[in-house]
Amino acid sequence: MHLPDGFLTAGVMVGTWTATGAGVAAALRAERRDDHHMPAGVLGAVAAFIFAAQLVNVPVAPGTSGHLVGAALAAVLLGPWRATIVMTVVLAVQALMFQDGGLGALGANTLDMGIAAVFAGWTTASLTARWLPTPRGAVAGGVLGGFTATLSSAALTSVWLGLSGLYPLGGIVRVMLFTHTFIGVLEALLTGAILTTVVRWRPDLVLGLQTRQQPAWGGALVLGSLSVAGIIAAFVAPFASGAPDGLEHAAERLGFGGRAAAWWTAPLPDYGLPFTMGPGLETALAGVAGTVMVAVVAWGVSRGVGTRRRDAVHR
Amino acid sequence: MPYTGNRPGVVLALGIGLVMSAALSPAGLDGAAIPAWVWPLWLGVFLAALAAFRRAGYPIVEALRRIGWLVPLVLVFTVPAALVAPASQRLLIFAALASRALAAAAAAAAMAIWLGPSGMVRAVRQLGAPSRLADVFEAMLASLAGVLRQAHAMLRAREARRSSIGAWSLVAAAPVETARGFGRLVASLLLRALERAEALERARRARGFEP
Repeated sequence: MHLPDGFLTAGVMVGTWTATGAGVAAALRAERRDDHHMPAGVLGAVAAFIFAAQLVNVPVAPGTSGHLVGAALAAVLLGPWRATIVMTVVLAVQALMFQDGGLGALGANTLDMGIAAVFAGWTTASLTARWLPTPRGAVAGGVLGGFTATLSSAALTSVWLGLSGLYPLGGIVRVMLFTHTFIGVLEALLTGAILTTVVRWRPDLVLGLQTRQQPAWGGALVLGSLSVAGIIAAFVAPFASGAPDGLEHAAERLGFGGRAAAWWTAPLPDYGLPFTMGPGLETALAGVAGTVMVAVVAWGVSRGVGTRRRDAVHR
Repeated sequence: MPYTGNRPGVVLALGIGLVMSAALSPAGLDGAAIPAWVWPLWLGVFLAALAAFRRAGYPIVEALRRIGWLVPLVLVFTVPAALVAPASQRLLIFAALASRALAAAAAAAAMAIWLGPSGMVRAVRQLGAPSRLADVFEAMLASLAGVLRQAHAMLRAREARRSSIGAWSLVAAAPVETARGFGRLVASLLLRALERAEALERARRARGFEP
């Protein structure tokens, strides 16, 4: 999944580098504020471990092998901010020293595997562990997180390739999603297998799911939830049934369906975009756009409510 | 000889500049024409990469062998892109994409070989990377050789205890057994890596180093 150089346009490179820079800066700031200091040597050892674990290939079928990516595992072990730092360093070493991924494409690769995958994986794992607060819950969270992390990473990679004009966007998203479903299952299986042993012998090392270790838990959860919601909107929405919903069905049967009239024209009517990209892709992008809009509105409302509540307390 | 001068940051910046000049030149995607100047540019970047390999003490054959490792990855992206291009342009786009990617990858490989791990750490610091990132980068490179040695030793020991060829069965044939074996081995590697790092940290503190 590491993109090499020579396949992304300048615009995509600049955009992904900017987003990655902002994400890594946020991770460094959050880590600096954390009271539980973790020495650089220990983080470096985890980074070296993830690098080594990626080299341990597992035979999948005759002639094919797979390996762990480790974003969700790092998030469960260290929390999302430290995992972002560790994955950024792993990807930088791979690009700078081993040409596994390009230097120009490092921004895109870090955004895919170091930020989106970490936050998607951690949110899934964290919510599962809250619902099932036992060692088994931690393992189950890691398994689900590994799967989510792989899909989110594959989705973003295909978007960069499509936006760079290398392949048609609708086609590459479907191909990547299909192939990475199997890779995601393997990632989930391997993450679960590692966590089973770690939880058994050193449960104290599973720091990422302990909320007291996460001062910026709220911000991380919001970022992660947005990643997961974005994945669901992008991948599940195009496969939704095209049949009418209950009200539409009843209106059609009772004969007043045709009398429905719109009072105004919505910006994205029927989950479509104003330009043609193929029906599945339009629905997916409209779903992501809607998710982001809802998040922005919810954030604005929550800030307003929070201010009023604080004012009431002060009064 | 790896680079031992005082300006590894300049070498890294020049290397990144070379990689970018090759990677961002037009290669005929989206129906755009391929200008004539890009072919000598890619050849020039490739030759500069070979020169840097020579400067680092690598014979040309060894340099070509190292660059050759990158060809399968380049083909994974190039072949499908050529297949979806218009029929009359397929060969040209394939050649342009492959040349562009190989020139960029060769320049990056040459820069890494010439700078070496310690030169790369100094270069990253000189280019103004955040100190925490540079510290973790340095610590990772310092631990890497030890962790990889452990991983190889553990894989060798596991393989020696198996009756069949290879360290594991196939995931498709025996998923639980394969995953369990992988989990035990890689989790042990994680515990060893962390416990080694914690011991090193204790030793550093005992000698007066502050984290």
